Amino acid sequence: MTRIGVYVCHCGLNIAGVVDVEKVVEYAKGLPDVVVTKHYTYMCSEPGQRMIQDDIKALNLDRIVIATCSPRMHEETFRRAVAEAGLNPYLTEIVNLREQVSWAHTHEPEKATEKAKALVRMGVARARLLEPLEKRKVTVEKSVLVVGGGIAGIQASLDLADAGFKVYLVEKAPSIGGRMSQLDKTFPTLDCSACILTPKMVDVTKHQNITLLTNAEVTNVKGFVGNYEVSILRKPRYVDAERCVGCEICTKACPVKVLDKFNENLSEKRAISIYSPHAVPKIATIDPDYCLRLKYKKGVCGKCQDACEAKAINFEQQTETIQAKVGGIVLAVGSEVFDASRMVELGYGRFKNVISNIEFERISDASGPTGGKILTPKDGKPPETIVFIQCVGSRDKRFHEYCCRVGCMATLKQAILAREKISENVKIYVCFIDMRAFGKGYDEFYRRARDMDIDFIGGLPSEIHSAPDGSLYFDVFDKGTNKLLEMHADLVVLGAGLVPNSDLGNISALFHASRSADGFLLEAHPKLRPLETAMAGIFLAGACQGPKDIPDTVAQASGAAAKAIDLLLSGEIELEPLKAVVDKDLCSGCRICESICPFIAIEIKPEVVNGNERLRAEVIEAMCQGCGLCSSACPTGAIKIQQYSNKQVLTQVEAALEEACAEGGK
Amino acid sequence: MLREGSELSLVDLMSMAKPNLESREKILAKLRGRELVNCFQCIKCTSGCTALKLLELKPHEIIKLVNLGFVDELPSSDIIWTCVTCLKCVQRCPQKASPYHVIMALRNLAVEREAKVPEGYLKAVSQILETGLAETAQKVVTRKMETVDRECLKLPKIISPKVGFQAVFMKTMEEK
Amino acid sequence: MKTAVFWGCRILTGQFAYEMSVREVLPKLGIKLVDLRESMCCGDPIKSVNDFTANYLGARILALANLTSLDNLLVPCNRCHFTISEAKNLISTSAKAGQKIKDLLKEEGLEYNLNIKIWHTIDLLHDLVGLERIKKAVAKPLKGLKVATHIGCQIIRYSDLGRVDDAENPRKLDELIGALGAETVEYVEKLDCCGSALMYSHPDSALSLTGSKLKAVQNLAVDGLVVSCPDCQLMFDVKQKDAGTTVGAKLNVPVVYYTQLLGLALGIDERKLGLHLNQSPVDQVIARISA
Repeated sequence: MTRIGVYVCHCGLNIAGVVDVEKVVEYAKGLPDVVVTKHYTYMCSEPGQRMIQDDIKALNLDRIVIATCSPRMHEETFRRAVAEAGLNPYLTEIVNLREQVSWAHTHEPEKATEKAKALVRMGVARARLLEPLEKRKVTVEKSVLVVGGGIAGIQASLDLADAGFKVYLVEKAPSIGGRMSQLDKTFPTLDCSACILTPKMVDVTKHQNITLLTNAEVTNVKGFVGNYEVSILRKPRYVDAERCVGCEICTKACPVKVLDKFNENLSEKRAISIYSPHAVPKIATIDPDYCLRLKYKKGVCGKCQDACEAKAINFEQQTETIQAKVGGIVLAVGSEVFDASRMVELGYGRFKNVISNIEFERISDASGPTGGKILTPKDGKPPETIVFIQCVGSRDKRFHEYCCRVGCMATLKQAILAREKISENVKIYVCFIDMRAFGKGYDEFYRRARDMDIDFIGGLPSEIHSAPDGSLYFDVFDKGTNKLLEMHADLVVLGAGLVPNSDLGNISALFHASRSADGFLLEAHPKLRPLETAMAGIFLAGACQGPKDIPDTVAQASGAAAKAIDLLLSGEIELEPLKAVVDKDLCSGCRICESICPFIAIEIKPEVVNGNERLRAEVIEAMCQGCGLCSSACPTGAIKIQQYSNKQVLTQVEAALEEACAEGGK
Repeated sequence: MLREGSELSLVDLMSMAKPNLESREKILAKLRGRELVNCFQCIKCTSGCTALKLLELKPHEIIKLVNLGFVDELPSSDIIWTCVTCLKCVQRCPQKASPYHVIMALRNLAVEREAKVPEGYLKAVSQILETGLAETAQKVVTRKMETVDRECLKLPKIISPKVGFQAVFMKTMEEK
Repeated sequence: MKTAVFWGCRILTGQFAYEMSVREVLPKLGIKLVDLRESMCCGDPIKSVNDFTANYLGARILALANLTSLDNLLVPCNRCHFTISEAKNLISTSAKAGQKIKDLLKEEGLEYNLNIKIWHTIDLLHDLVGLERIKKAVAKPLKGLKVATHIGCQIIRYSDLGRVDDAENPRKLDELIGALGAETVEYVEKLDCCGSALMYSHPDSALSLTGSKLKAVQNLAVDGLVVSCPDCQLMFDVKQKDAGTTVGAKLNVPVVYYTQLLGLALGIDERKLGLHLNQSPVDQVIARISA
């Protein structure tokens, strides 16, 4: 005989505004095994929780049913409260009267109340069959893998390393620094990007807790939270990292010209070169797709090897695979810039003087292709008129619906830099839809731009044309003056948005990190859990989760690091017991559960039973998310989810249909 | 979606016109989707509008007027007949608000409300009822000043639709 | 290969050269044309009067094509192609509208079948017949001929509807001309509209658009302008003089249908291609080709 307490929450007016809570309480009184029924405005509040705790002690309750908002909101809270009162927390049942009743049936209060009664009846039926469960502890590795060496990865790595964790920082490119190292200045302070970034990059190399692996990618991830086994593939540089001193004599000797990716293909470098101006580590790398010796093998070229005084060139260098055991993973793989050639009508890719914002950044940077002078690509002269065009590839159902968040601020910065670098006579215009200057100091930055006689046109052009001399012209209608303006420009800069990496599908598959509708990596909850994925132990930092600026990236990176520290610091973690469990006597080893599990949480192990070798399923508790797919697919009923056995679920169904059956199946 | 009976508390102080939400709903009902309401005034349509320079057609303005409910001034205006139907605005709009389709819907409303409709369109209707085609057969004068028609060019005769066609055609015109 | 063909109004009542040249060239490339049982308007002018009626007319054409039991329907006019495509889109996506139109067609004993591919002359020639086959059939390569193309608006826009060629960089007509041995030029005004839709309400503006484009083409110093729509031809060819007056320019641009050019390259007699009907100075082009 169980002793059940039923508590109905008003949730302010959220529930009580639609559902007649008193009627529900009256109804619950009549259910078998229910010893006490109460209602209160906010069950999750301190007095609400205390009400339940006092009743547990005074009335010897052994099952608690709370009819309130979604369990995703406060199930943890209530479990803790129940545990504090000395009752096993898993003997609590949450009935959702908000999302499933009052919010769904706002305009039908009578029917809503009837539904609420039915749901409470179902909850009580299930509560009778709940079993006490215990959390289990598992030891964890106090080390973290950080994937991506941009500012997000760098910040997270430093925070983790400072907290005493071992960090593996893996970066695909030959140098860390990412997008931020491509920037000239940063908004809204106009801090020199390299000046604030490079000290952190150097800190990474100096930190004893950080193992930096550049020119490397993660190729395999196995295991579960606290106990991940990762394989990292380090591609050969064909240069001995111990010997190279970064003098760049090899680059001067190399005859093969290659487009410089770091400079967005605006300049050329050589097949052997240092990746970027402030590269960390400062070691040369050979591009195997272009190097004559590597492509044609035999004694071809080798001029770099001849020139290198440190004898650092090694054409025989091999790929290396490094295995690491880590407790958690931070994904910080960044984003790409929208390929503006997809908006054919704007002429990017066809007209040399139509460039993208990231190309402008390289041109403006002192270590870039023009030594920091703003010059037009076609004839290398300073422009007399520059027009910036916003929202290229963003806020557009044809390409990406989202707002790229940084486009407005980046353009304001570039417009201000153009004014400062060229002259007060250059005509600078920004064509925009909205000017989004949302952050600290951002609108003040917008005012600064206007103070510098940068003009803002309220409207976007439909298409851009090129005159025979390479100058650009187009029509744009301005909302403010109500005039159709014909604009002539020497340089047009397109505000291309940030987009998910083209290889994010790979990352998503490797780390089982879902993606949201916009293509970026999906956070566990957009409001309350923005720093982690749905996979336990895998965290998110930076633009890979959604386009964002540097302050937000750094904040998120430190946050993700803190989350990882929080998870792993004690050296062990507690696992929720609502997982799948296998009854070995019923398991036939058919492997259906293994094939269907989306979290690779089931292992098939051979066992010897009565002298015969049989296969049996075993659940890796730490990976299991309790989704229930295995349980519904299992043909023998061998695998079940704790607290969600067939009996526990079907009793609710029977309770739901109770009244209908009584009324003759209406 | 605006509920019945609610009125935007707006008045156009130049004309003292108030929004007419019923007319707005009429236009929305004629459109395939509700993307009209997604327009965030990027002005691309107007910037690229073929009819802007010559006839001052501003598609973004028409979309905004309809969206706010200032529909009734449009069917009687000449501006809705200036659209060239080049479809550039449909092609380039980032929100698929399609000013062209809104303008066609306004033209339909103009016909329904018996506002001034360019003669040619109404002539096309009566011509179709008569022969099935919107144009009458012509004779063409060649560069060498010969006059020719279908028959002397040995082209197949034009066969008009059978009698039943007119009745059904008239029926479809009752769909508003 | 057989295809049903729908001509629309413009071609049948005045733009005879387009019909003549299509009827001449397609059989030589293995395409047999099957006319529908009667002629009717596609509904284009009716779109401005009653959109539902316009879509009904478009669906009725599909129903007439259904009577031929053929899988393909050639629509040589750009505006008809757009109107019928929009009609097909409506009846395939709106169950309500589709049902209403089905019931109305039933009153005439007609029924549409959505399993029919709608072609224009350009994609039929480019994608179905293919450039290789056309190249092989060319008897008189148009070497040295340089032209500008005007593909028109309603067969390249709007992309979501599925059109004949790319909306921002249409190449099919240029490639079809290349297959004949001639050259095409790129020019800023390439995608500009001929203005024909304004003839009902603002004829001066219509002619102004026509004239501006012709002026630009004239400045390219090409041998002619190639079109593929009877409305565009009406503006650029028949109304060239009026357009010149409107924009204050002396226009002297030969304007031909692609199928006329194709016919010449295939060695077909110019009269059979209706080239005597063109009002613009095409004789100079014909002379160059015959030479």
